[in-house]
Amino acid sequence: MNVRLALKLLWRDWRSGELTLLLLSLVIAVSTVTTITLLVDRLHKALLLESATFLAADRVIASGEPIDPVILERADALGLRRAQTLSFLSMVFAEDRAQLSSVKAVSDNYPLRGTLIASNEPFINGFVVDKGPAPGEVWLESRLVPSLDVSIGDTVEIGVAEFRVGKVLIKEPDRGGGFSSAAGPRVMMNLVDVPKTEVVQPASRVSYRYLFAGDAGRLDEFESWVEPHLGEDARLFGVKQGAASVGNALDRAERFLLLGGLLGVVLAGVAIALSAQRYSLRHYDHVAVLKTLGATPSMIDGLFIVIFLALGTVATLAGGAIGFVVQLGITQVLSPYIPVELPPPGALPLWLGMVTGFVCLLSYALPPLLRLRATEPVRVIRRDLADASTTDRLTYGAAVIGTLGLMWWYSKDLYLTSLIFLGALVAVAVLSVIAYSLLRSSRVLGMQAGSVFRLALAGMQRRGQQNTMQILVFGLAIMLLLILYLVRTALVDEWRAQIPENAPNHFAINISPEDVAPIRTLLARNGIASQPLYPMIRGRITQINGESTRAGEGGHAEDEEEAPGPRASSDRNLTFAGVLPDDNHILSGEWWAEDYKGPPLVSLERDIATRNHIKVGDVLTFTIQGRTLSAAVASIRRVAWDNMQPNFYIIFSPGALDDFPSTYMTSFTLPPSKKLFLNELLRDYPTMTVLEVDALIAQVKAIIAQVTLAIELVLVLIMVAGGLVLLASIQASMDERFKQHAILRTLGASRRTVMGSLVVEFCALGFLAGLLATLGAEATVYFLETEIFELEFQFNPELWLLGPAVGTVLIGIVGTLATLKVVRTPPIAVLRGL
Amino acid sequence: MNSSDMIRAVDLGKAVDTALGQLTILKGIDLEIKESETVAIVGASGSGKTTLLSLLAGLDVPTRGKVFLGPYEITAMDEEERAHVRSEMVGFVFQTFQLLDSLTAIENVMLPAELKRDPDAEEKARELMARVELSHRLNHYPRQLSGGEQQRVAIARAFASSAKILFADEPTGNLDTRTGANVIDLLFDLNAEFGTTLVLVTHDERLAGRCGRSISIASGMLVPEGAGAPA
Ligand SMILES: Nc1ncnc2c1ncn2[C@@H]1O[C@H](COP(=O)(O)OP(=O)(O)O)[C@@H](O)[C@H]1O
Ligand SMILES: [Mg+2]
Repeated sequence: MNVRLALKLLWRDWRSGELTLLLLSLVIAVSTVTTITLLVDRLHKALLLESATFLAADRVIASGEPIDPVILERADALGLRRAQTLSFLSMVFAEDRAQLSSVKAVSDNYPLRGTLIASNEPFINGFVVDKGPAPGEVWLESRLVPSLDVSIGDTVEIGVAEFRVGKVLIKEPDRGGGFSSAAGPRVMMNLVDVPKTEVVQPASRVSYRYLFAGDAGRLDEFESWVEPHLGEDARLFGVKQGAASVGNALDRAERFLLLGGLLGVVLAGVAIALSAQRYSLRHYDHVAVLKTLGATPSMIDGLFIVIFLALGTVATLAGGAIGFVVQLGITQVLSPYIPVELPPPGALPLWLGMVTGFVCLLSYALPPLLRLRATEPVRVIRRDLADASTTDRLTYGAAVIGTLGLMWWYSKDLYLTSLIFLGALVAVAVLSVIAYSLLRSSRVLGMQAGSVFRLALAGMQRRGQQNTMQILVFGLAIMLLLILYLVRTALVDEWRAQIPENAPNHFAINISPEDVAPIRTLLARNGIASQPLYPMIRGRITQINGESTRAGEGGHAEDEEEAPGPRASSDRNLTFAGVLPDDNHILSGEWWAEDYKGPPLVSLERDIATRNHIKVGDVLTFTIQGRTLSAAVASIRRVAWDNMQPNFYIIFSPGALDDFPSTYMTSFTLPPSKKLFLNELLRDYPTMTVLEVDALIAQVKAIIAQVTLAIELVLVLIMVAGGLVLLASIQASMDERFKQHAILRTLGASRRTVMGSLVVEFCALGFLAGLLATLGAEATVYFLETEIFELEFQFNPELWLLGPAVGTVLIGIVGTLATLKVVRTPPIAVLRGL
Repeated sequence: MNSSDMIRAVDLGKAVDTALGQLTILKGIDLEIKESETVAIVGASGSGKTTLLSLLAGLDVPTRGKVFLGPYEITAMDEEERAHVRSEMVGFVFQTFQLLDSLTAIENVMLPAELKRDPDAEEKARELMARVELSHRLNHYPRQLSGGEQQRVAIARAFASSAKILFADEPTGNLDTRTGANVIDLLFDLNAEFGTTLVLVTHDERLAGRCGRSISIASGMLVPEGAGAPA
């Protein structure tokens, strides 16, 4: 291979300005992809970190008893940081008062993620502290200060030990972690003090939590090692499993960022393909001449492969570097608006961006370059003859395979990849047919118009195939932008709706039947909005169609691996209801009539049914308060676990549980200013338990605000990439237009006519592209929202105005700016130059 | 068959498919051209001269018949091998010059030698540029040169490959009479100097007269010698 000659030719091409556009679009494509990859990675990491504060860790093992120390040794060996907490309910005594409290004992390095906030006075904002109470000290939640009538420095008793009240606990990161820890006001103490209270005995109900934090790879390694070593009731989870509301938001945000990255790759690829095509179109004559001078086809291949590699290396390195810097710049500029600190960019995304750039090059730019080998030498004599089209099967094939591969690599999700890909493919096929016929009919219209219009539309039609391509590219770019915009809007709306402004932020459970009416009155009198009261009875499934559930679990050990979900045999809260609760959807079977009075029926949540292979019609036997009750499964439901409402796995038909004494639960909304009302409520009804989820809700809201911001940022980036594609595409068509208009000018067309016809042409192209983009976007978004993001699809009438308008204005403006050069260039320069 | 034949065509035919059906451009051409001969191919516009030239030079493939260049039967070769033959023994001068616009004049002339990895490419190119009296325009781009100057660069390039055969398709077609005459003088001078076999397509009788022999072609067929070309 003649590397020296190839580099020489490359250098000469560069010097004459021939390469600038190709190299520029390569660099832009690589740097866009790198920027997006880096930003997405950093945002994603930041979100994970931020949401990890929900657990105060990256991973948690929750267990009812101490876990095997081997597990902790393993974590240490992997270099993970760890902490431990122990929670239990206990009476806390002050001089003459007592309060059932939720005690949490923490080790010195708690929390691993997030921060503890404490103060020296109750009900104020407080300050960040870097560790929990010292030995011998307890911190009390604000509400406990008036209810125990103590102040800082006083002494309280837990079990047989005495503690000094050190601080007021304002906020702990993992407060929302489950109902058990949220029951009752919080008292925090040091883990080393637990034995001396003598409260925790072998049989007492305590909850151990082992917290781990560290590098993502190590955590995954740890996770897969730990699973088989965990005891019966120990559970390992990350933030996604630990907090459904955040987990869902994170999942969707991840998918969105991914989608954004994918679309960025595709857009960059299209930009590269366009400029590479332009480059090779302009080089057909060169190759023909080289061939007459004795260059063989393999020599041509060699030349252009060297050129390609050189270009690729320069573009990838320069693009990578620029991408890195741009990404730094963006985060710098945005740092006041990003509430979390972004973790530093890793090397992996940089590498990813550069590989992506190179693969883009390979699949989009190499084929048109390789097509050059096929140029026939007769072309030097008969130029029209060998005007080989670059868009042949090889080009399409390479682009298709390259894009698919990249998308798959990025998403590691074949389903998402093929869905988007098929969508785009179908869109392209349908759109090209429509684009072509639109072009034809617009010409008929144009015939009746003035000379500017006639010129423009005739021009558009003459280059029909080329313009179809161009409309497709414009359309595709606009379509991708619209898709992203629509999905983002739907996601943000959904998140806003997930936690309405006055969502219930407190749950009251264990309300005895005789207290139901007075509590309702008390809430109403204090102007506190509350939900209906649901009955709640503890019980568990003991048989499915006569077979014991315990035995079944032992026998299907492997099944458990496959179908995660709640076990049938665990104790659950049971309820009954006449009306299907909000946010529940029947998946199979039927919900009973509101006034149903027949034999007991039961409705199960989807996961518990799947895990235990229960179908509609099966008969379940329950053990409730020592007695048994059988009920047929009437329906399987989907439950929106993230709606922060009372949700139940198992709901009975009305009357089915009448024989069992039940307690009731409800939820209500308590603004921060009325927080002290809890003391009054709990003093009057000491047997009931209040779960406070207001802190959790506030945290979820904060996370969602950050996720939203991340999404908007990516949207803007992709818009920039889309704009670049439009530019590249217009540039790529410029040669042809330059020549045509130079000829028109020599024929006496005025500047105004030429300019006018170009503007009209671009606006028309933009309008058609916008129209097609709208069509494609609606269709794709329908699938994305229903299949990937699990949202309700909504038709977007405003889009049908927005799409074509954006297309017309955007392409009209960009096109016109580009054409200013056409009309300024003297025609002779153009004719000579080509 | 004469061993001193540099170019030989046997029953050469070319037909192309057009929208209106098959169009036969050349209908069974037989010809022989000896080493160092200068031959003009003459005929009216559209008679098939360019087509014949491109077949003889191996730029295009015939639909029937054979072409031999020196010892090679180029019609039995693939494009790769034909390119080698071109590199070894063929040079071109075209009506539309066909210089690469991204290369300067001297780089255009260096190109054939560079393709052969000749280390003396630049030196040779300088000599040839001097020979066509363009030493002062070495680093100019083609679009900065006049038509006549461009054609002189093209001629320098044609001889840069030390070709044994030079094909020229209406080399003066795009030039005014005086410039054309200068270019032709240069072409013939260099041809004599290098002892090249020259095949020149033209419809200019005067130019044809400067060649050793003329081959007339009309409607894709050779006009027998002495029959006189149709006016
Ligand atoms: N690829 C082709 N397709 C259709 N017609 C062709 C093609 N090549 C040549 N012709 C036609 O064949 C005839 C001879 O062409 P050409 O060899 O260029 O003639 P000349 O050089 O003598 O003017 C012309 O009528 C030309 O239009
Ligand atoms: Mg001709």
